[in-house]
Amino acid sequence: MGLVKPDKDVSRAKPAEPVVDVATLLGTLEAEQPKARREAARALAGVPSAVGPLCARLDREEDPRTREVILTSLIRIHLPEVVEGLIGYVRSEDAGLRNDVVEALGEMPDLVEPHIDALLKDADPDVRILTVNILAILRHRKVPHWLAAVAERDAHPNVCAAAIDVLADVGSAEALPVLERVRARFADLPFLVFAVDVAMRRIDGAGKEDS
Amino acid sequence: MSAGGTTKLANDPDVILSDDELGKLCDFFYRKTGIRMDVGKRYFLDRRIAERIRATESPDFRTYFQILFFETSGRELQELTNLMTVNETYFFRENYQFDCLVNSMLDEVAKRKGRKGDRIKVWSMPCATGEESYTIAIHMLERWAKVDDYEIEIHASDIDSTVLRRAAEGIYDERALEKVPSYMRQRYLTYASEGTWQVRSELRSSIEFSLVNITDPNQMWRFRDFDVIFCRNLLIYFDEVSRRQAAGLLYEALSPGGFICLGHSESMSRISSAFQPRKFPDALVYQKPLNES
Repeated sequence: MGLVKPDKDVSRAKPAEPVVDVATLLGTLEAEQPKARREAARALAGVPSAVGPLCARLDREEDPRTREVILTSLIRIHLPEVVEGLIGYVRSEDAGLRNDVVEALGEMPDLVEPHIDALLKDADPDVRILTVNILAILRHRKVPHWLAAVAERDAHPNVCAAAIDVLADVGSAEALPVLERVRARFADLPFLVFAVDVAMRRIDGAGKEDS
Repeated sequence: MSAGGTTKLANDPDVILSDDELGKLCDFFYRKTGIRMDVGKRYFLDRRIAERIRATESPDFRTYFQILFFETSGRELQELTNLMTVNETYFFRENYQFDCLVNSMLDEVAKRKGRKGDRIKVWSMPCATGEESYTIAIHMLERWAKVDDYEIEIHASDIDSTVLRRAAEGIYDERALEKVPSYMRQRYLTYASEGTWQVRSELRSSIEFSLVNITDPNQMWRFRDFDVIFCRNLLIYFDEVSRRQAAGLLYEALSPGGFICLGHSESMSRISSAFQPRKFPDALVYQKPLNES
């Protein structure tokens, strides 16, 4: 024994040739075996009509690897319907699913953009915080503007703090007056004042000294 | 240099990042590429980043960081990645992973097989001009006590047919063979001409070379049941979605319990949660779970 050349007939015949029939693939999304579901989800990456079933499957998919493949396929399909199908999951009780969806949405800046304003105005502060989390990874020029707007007007200190943390990394001098106003607005919340000072120092070295 | 100091302007040939700035860049770079910058090589990092700050005509680090962060094409991130990952190939490169192969991984694979004579499959992907695949073979033949107890298949694949041809030819110069001990060189290669050596034909013919695109499911479905995959310094060159897709396909290519080795500064954890990290005495590798539960 030792080194052997692969048995071409055996090693190449073993794996089953992938299925290409869309209807069959959609059915296989509900298969018992996660591996079969993953193969189906992967094969549906180029199929626009699979967006609905893939998004719906996410709600029931308990295998994290399969969930990963579903989201990758949806990102690959890259249609507005994908974001419309995923947006609702930012309210999911499943923290893992929420976080995975946030990451996936962060990969689609052009498709996510039309939804950002509405998400940042959502009645639920957790949704607004998750939206800030999306902005933290979103490659979009409007991100600093959105973040500054959140910091400026959001009534919830935790939402403001989340926005300020990200602004500290990506904000420019334009954000400084906004941050000054936030500090004044939340002068009675030391943690927020501290966050503002750190952000201002990072942006321009213009923050006040820590007291 | 102070922790809160600002970057000198890009006109200055000695642009230096503050600790905060470097920290921010390292975090972002790791999040985007899975690569950990070696902050111990501070001078190297400063010079490389300064090069990109000047190349993008950024007046300061913050402006440059915004380019990295917001550029939808990802072009600057790729430029920085290329600069940070100087890759060359030669025999016994990053040898600690081959130590791990023969000292730890193969023994675990053999234990799982349970039966002498079973087949063990190892994949070098991308194989480039073949140095890695031959290195794997030599290590196994020289240093794994059980090599004769199993049928060992070594596969070597690349997307580039030109390098595959060179890999199959197996001709190398002194630079590529510098780390190969003399007795191994005599045993596994023959002198060719003008300072070049060729891998002996029996070793060349025992490796299966193939053309494959790692991100294409239509090509990857044929690659299954591998016990160890070496995929070093490849995923870093993909965008995030392609990287995740490739990692998923590599996962399917592995047998349950199979191992995958990445480049020394790469991390699978940022790419896919499907694998479990395994820390062996010689190296950190990643493993496909034995049971999907």
